[in-house]
Amino acid sequence: MAKIAIIDDDPDILDASSLVLTSKGYEVVTATNPDDGYRIVKESSPDLIILDVMMNEPDDGFFLAQKFRKEKILSPIIMYTSVSKSLGMDFGINELVPVDEFVEKPISPEQLIEKVRKLLHTKGEV
Amino acid sequence: MDNSHCPKILIVDDEKGLRIGTKRLLEGEGYVVETAENGYDGIKLGTTTEFDLAIIDLKMPDIDGIQVMKEILKVYPDSVCLIATGYASYETAIEAIKFGAFSYIPKPFTPEELFQKLTQGYSRRELIIEKKKWKQEREERLLEVAFEKSRLNTIINSITDGLLVVNKNGEAVLYNPSALKSLGFDQIKIEEYILDKLHPQIADLINKFLSSETCEQKSFSSQVELKANRELIVEATSSPVLNPDGTLAGVVVVLQDITELKKIEFLKSQFVSMVSHELKAPIAAVYGYLKLFSDTSIPLTEEQKMNYLNRSQIRLDGLLKMVNDLLDISRMELKTVNKEIKDVDLPSIIRPIIELFQIDIKKKNISVTIEASEKLPHLKADQDEVSRLFTNLISNSIKYNKTDGSIAVNITASGNYLITEIKDTGIGMKPAERAKLFQEFFRAKNDKTKDISGTGLGLSIVKRIVDSYSGKMEVESEFNIGTSFKIFLPLRYENNNNV
Repeated sequence: MAKIAIIDDDPDILDASSLVLTSKGYEVVTATNPDDGYRIVKESSPDLIILDVMMNEPDDGFFLAQKFRKEKILSPIIMYTSVSKSLGMDFGINELVPVDEFVEKPISPEQLIEKVRKLLHTKGEV
Repeated sequence: MDNSHCPKILIVDDEKGLRIGTKRLLEGEGYVVETAENGYDGIKLGTTTEFDLAIIDLKMPDIDGIQVMKEILKVYPDSVCLIATGYASYETAIEAIKFGAFSYIPKPFTPEELFQKLTQGYSRRELIIEKKKWKQEREERLLEVAFEKSRLNTIINSITDGLLVVNKNGEAVLYNPSALKSLGFDQIKIEEYILDKLHPQIADLINKFLSSETCEQKSFSSQVELKANRELIVEATSSPVLNPDGTLAGVVVVLQDITELKKIEFLKSQFVSMVSHELKAPIAAVYGYLKLFSDTSIPLTEEQKMNYLNRSQIRLDGLLKMVNDLLDISRMELKTVNKEIKDVDLPSIIRPIIELFQIDIKKKNISVTIEASEKLPHLKADQDEVSRLFTNLISNSIKYNKTDGSIAVNITASGNYLITEIKDTGIGMKPAERAKLFQEFFRAKNDKTKDISGTGLGLSIVKRIVDSYSGKMEVESEFNIGTSFKIFLPLRYENNNNV
């Protein structure tokens, strides 16, 4: 059973996302800030990380992703974004932003599950 | 003849008959005539008034006619003199002309001969005056041009936009001090090739004209960062300078400093992004919950449903409050708030606010005390604004307080200020949080604050209101101990919004 870490400072987003993923059988761990996020990833070695780009600072999610990669934590990362483009942080998938997928808020369950499945290379229910 | 344009004639002759006869004859033709009976009187008359014409007898008992003419011409060189002589000869004629006579007239003369000479003489006089007028005008014009040039230089040197003119060969021909400053040069050498020293973008703007010899009257503009890190950004505009025949003479470049504009633009877009982000967060949360409700593949318990509905409601309330706060801020920024200045008794504003929050106060079992000095002077202020100011502060002191905590409100008057201190026993702030306190949307984020709702705009509004009354604020805070806000409001209201 795949384990997924969700790191987002909005408790409602955490709750809704967790519920969607647990209802599909995934195991979910959550954190509401980058420090706790780093800790739970180190502790539980998730198969996939969902990371909000803007928490305490406009780009601390992005720095956390870099930190994971630097420490050879290579689980796929889905990044939640809201208005990062208009903040001048035009993220594209390249070596500077070491994430695998972007999901723009608000998030629909189908879209989330589709991206999660794609990255975990699974088809159908786990 | 119009009197103002009547030729004025002086007749100097010792022969009385000739004087009287000529005078009568000329006056009949509209001339203004004066006469002198000897050389002495002739000089006196001819040097005190400027005559158009003078007819001077050559041989007079006291002073010689040529001498009289010389004296008159010394003072009025433009008077036209005719020498009259009964001993007409080549020699006397030449001598008279040598010394400045226009012509000579042999005596006796017929009226026709006289008129003919006078008409010629007067034409000469008119020519001289015309020439003099032109000369004077030309001198005046030259002066004007010189003055105009120096004035133009003064204007060019005093404009804040940088100005640089280069000729067809790319050599600098004119610049002002602002251009020097913008371009970061100590000096620009006139008639020295300058294109290789300019920022490539500016050189490009000039080359657009120089390389094609384009003579179209159009301009090219681009924004050039002359100093890195947005320290100096100019809008450079190049336009052609054309010769009278329409060929290219050179290029003029105007450098407008838009650094501040860019800064404001940047701040604005940052603010818009922040606002969008903050508005989007509750929308995303509610959207997420609604999607859960509509997704039949995800089973929800009744309890979950109630919980999600409840939280959606809270997020929407927050969203509404944020939109209202933003509108308040926007109104304050635009200074469209019409202050209704009245006498305001501060304690009687603060007490109802505390009443309003009774439910929250009781929930946390917070004790609230209000202390106010006796005979506190009234403020001159807008009641609604003062109320909004303290509602925000008191709401914070409750929201961020601990259970069983306390809030002490203390109002005193000191000098020109009414000082209100609101001291709580709340969670306090770390220095780093304290520094960002008045930033829009800043909210200290930690375990203690995660369940406290807020827009992050309250203190921003507080600060704007205090500023609009030329007041000041002091904040003291210790993490985990509590926070104290001191608001200084001037007793007298001075309208400083009419900028």
